[in-house]
Amino acid sequence: MVPLTHIMALAGVLFFLGAICVVVRRNVLFILIGVEIMLNAAGLTFVAASLRWGAPEGQIFVLFLMAMAASEVSVGLALVVYAHRRKKSVDVDDFNEMKD
Amino acid sequence: MTSYVPYILLLPIAGAAFNILAGRALPRRAVEAVAVFAVFGSCVFAVMALYGMTGPVDVMLFDWISFGSFTAPFTARLDAISATMAVMVTGVSTLIHIYSVGYMADDDGYVRFFALMNLFVFSMLTLVLAGNLPLMYLGWEGVGFCSYGLIGFWYQDTEKATAGRKAFIVTRVGDVAFGVAVIWLYQLTGQTAIAAINQSAQVIPAATVTAIGLLLLFGATGKSAQLPLTVWLPDAMAGPTPVSALIHAATMVTAGVYLLMRMYPLISLSGTAMAAIAAVGALTAFYAATSALGQTDIKRVLAYSTISQIGYMVMGVGAGAVAGPLFHLFSHAFFKALLFLGAGYVIKAMHEEQDIFKMGGLMYRTPLVFVCFLSGALALAAVPGTSGFFSKDEILSAAFNNGSAFYTCIWAIGELTAFITTVYALRLVYLVFTGESKKTPAHVSGLMDYTLIPLALLSLAGGAINAPESWGGGTKLSEALISQGLAPRQFEGGSFGLQALAVLITVAGFATVHYLYAVNPKLREDMAARQAGLMAFLKDGWGLDRLYHAAFVAPYTAASRFLWRDFDEGLIDDSLDNLALATAKVGTWMRSSVTGRMSTYLVSVFLGAAALLAFFAIR
Amino acid sequence: MNALIFYILAGAATASTALAVSRREPVHAIIYLIASFFSLSLIFYMMGAPLIAALEVIIYAGAIMVLFLFIIMMLEMGSPRPRQGPFWRVWGPAVSLSAVILGCSLSLFFTGLKDAPAPGPGFISPRAFGSALYTHHMLAVEVVSLLLLFALVGALYLGRRE
Repeated sequence: MVPLTHIMALAGVLFFLGAICVVVRRNVLFILIGVEIMLNAAGLTFVAASLRWGAPEGQIFVLFLMAMAASEVSVGLALVVYAHRRKKSVDVDDFNEMKD
Repeated sequence: MTSYVPYILLLPIAGAAFNILAGRALPRRAVEAVAVFAVFGSCVFAVMALYGMTGPVDVMLFDWISFGSFTAPFTARLDAISATMAVMVTGVSTLIHIYSVGYMADDDGYVRFFALMNLFVFSMLTLVLAGNLPLMYLGWEGVGFCSYGLIGFWYQDTEKATAGRKAFIVTRVGDVAFGVAVIWLYQLTGQTAIAAINQSAQVIPAATVTAIGLLLLFGATGKSAQLPLTVWLPDAMAGPTPVSALIHAATMVTAGVYLLMRMYPLISLSGTAMAAIAAVGALTAFYAATSALGQTDIKRVLAYSTISQIGYMVMGVGAGAVAGPLFHLFSHAFFKALLFLGAGYVIKAMHEEQDIFKMGGLMYRTPLVFVCFLSGALALAAVPGTSGFFSKDEILSAAFNNGSAFYTCIWAIGELTAFITTVYALRLVYLVFTGESKKTPAHVSGLMDYTLIPLALLSLAGGAINAPESWGGGTKLSEALISQGLAPRQFEGGSFGLQALAVLITVAGFATVHYLYAVNPKLREDMAARQAGLMAFLKDGWGLDRLYHAAFVAPYTAASRFLWRDFDEGLIDDSLDNLALATAKVGTWMRSSVTGRMSTYLVSVFLGAAALLAFFAIR
Repeated sequence: MNALIFYILAGAATASTALAVSRREPVHAIIYLIASFFSLSLIFYMMGAPLIAALEVIIYAGAIMVLFLFIIMMLEMGSPRPRQGPFWRVWGPAVSLSAVILGCSLSLFFTGLKDAPAPGPGFISPRAFGSALYTHHMLAVEVVSLLLLFALVGALYLGRRE
């Protein structure tokens, strides 16, 4: 099969792309998308590791990861909707009332 | 007789203390009376002590400093020099105090004035009568302080206050040398008493004696306004005229010469020191006489004249005489005090005018003052028969008879200076008293001209103290000094050759002045107008003041300004401020990362993650 | 053979993720992302984790991305204005930080795992997976279900009409 390092490299690249998406994009939704990409990359890592050692725990954790991602996305999107109602904008820089 | 001695010192200080404490509450006449009678009483006791003296005697008043082996009791030493000096100081002071009553009649600061004058007399007497060097140093500093207070008496005028400060600081430079010499002598001989040091002077190695002699010379130049420390005396004329008469003619400025005379047995062991003293004296005499020639302010002429005459005294000590300089000290005290007091009268009469070119014709308006002033000027010019003639002759004889070529040069400078002295002295008389009068004189208090009479008599007849044998006198002063071992047995003054030369010089000077100022009146106007060239250089005192300013004062001021502004305030002070400002700036910069914008925070999260990963990767 | 398929799928996943990141329209980005998830799911299956592969499609691509689409279409937002500033200011922090992260990750992988044997033809069946889950990790399952409950309540609260 494929060496473990290659799979890890793929995970790294996907993580890197997700990080770029988070940092560069100004749309809140894209930030959340980027987070999803990163979580997915992490999950790939877990699966690869679990298959390398033949333990199901890695995949169990991926299941939990997906559950957590789902809950995070739902709450996050609810917040986006709420904020959009208040400010009529999805630009993340418009929500800057926390500065002093 | 010894019981009189404490009173000589006690009366002036008691007078000063009384006036300081109670003066303001008393009427004016009471304050003046206390001051005058304190000094008069001291004079009486001094005369009694002089006449009762049979030999040198030490009178210990109380234990002043006693620290292990370093003892300096408050001891008054009465011998020929100190007793005669004490009489002269108190006598002249009495006359000047009486004069001041009239002079300061319009001034409101009279309490301070008379208290300082009494305190000054006390300090001067301490200096004169001191039996040991630390006590003499105490009197030395005391007169310096009183001089500062009296020169800057009208302190509201910044210039006058600065003149007082200048006097104090310049003399201080000399005082350091004197202080060093005092301590060094104690370290060498283990003694502080002057007589003891002089007796054990033989044990000190020659090079050290020269060094100490030079130190004492430098200390003397400070107090006596000799080169290089002459610059304070012309400016000290900012004080009231009685102050100039007392301090800067008769007493304080002679303190330097007095010190040299006291330490003569020690200093005379070193030929180099003696030569240096003679050179300083001669050069100063010449320098000051020429500068006096270019002055237009009556008091400044007299100030430079004082410097010049003290130069003569110093020159005399350097040539190996003690009696001659002491005699000249006395005669100078008489005629110079007379000239100053007369000048004060003239200034008041001319409505506070001090420029001699604006005066004239007072000969007929104020005849008494004219006669007295003329007597003083004749004594200054060493007209034969006056006290000044005999004393100057003794000094010049000492230089001439010393033998070596060096001292002959000194003598030549002295004779040249005598000519210049005659010229400037008579110039003063001619400009102030002859010619046409420009203003009507104001009324001046009677006290101010009657006190001139005793001084005039002393200037003319005072030569009797020490007139040489060839004129029939008994050289009483010299004999007294020599008998007490205070002066070397040496040549006699009064050789006809030198005296004839002196007469010639005087006549030549008289003729010159008469031609310039009387025969050719237009020349006088020209001279008044022409202030450029040589006359300006002389008036400026050969630019010495400006030289010192450029060489010492300006760099010091620049350094102080640098240390104040750039170092003290800029570096130390501002560094604390800058520390605070820098901290504030750092804070503001750090605050700029809190923008409230999500994008910034996300970047910072990833910054942290990247740092962490990098740490693990590199490790 | 498998290796080749893996590399093809890896390329597809990377390409579609890169495209998803750089789209202007959110809907386009979501579609590309779904494509990426499909590729990944195939990779999972190939490696021997069929249950996870299925769950990836069902939960991630099926539920989460659909939720995103719902919100996007519900909100009717315009495109946000583009970021102002010079190019390097906009992309600089992201690229540099991500490069650092990538570099460090790769170096860690390739040094630490160099001599790790490749994942074998191991295969974890759903049965094995389920029994491990519900016996050894029962507590975790309960906790995660609580987590889902909280998320549900939170979303309902936040989304309520005033």
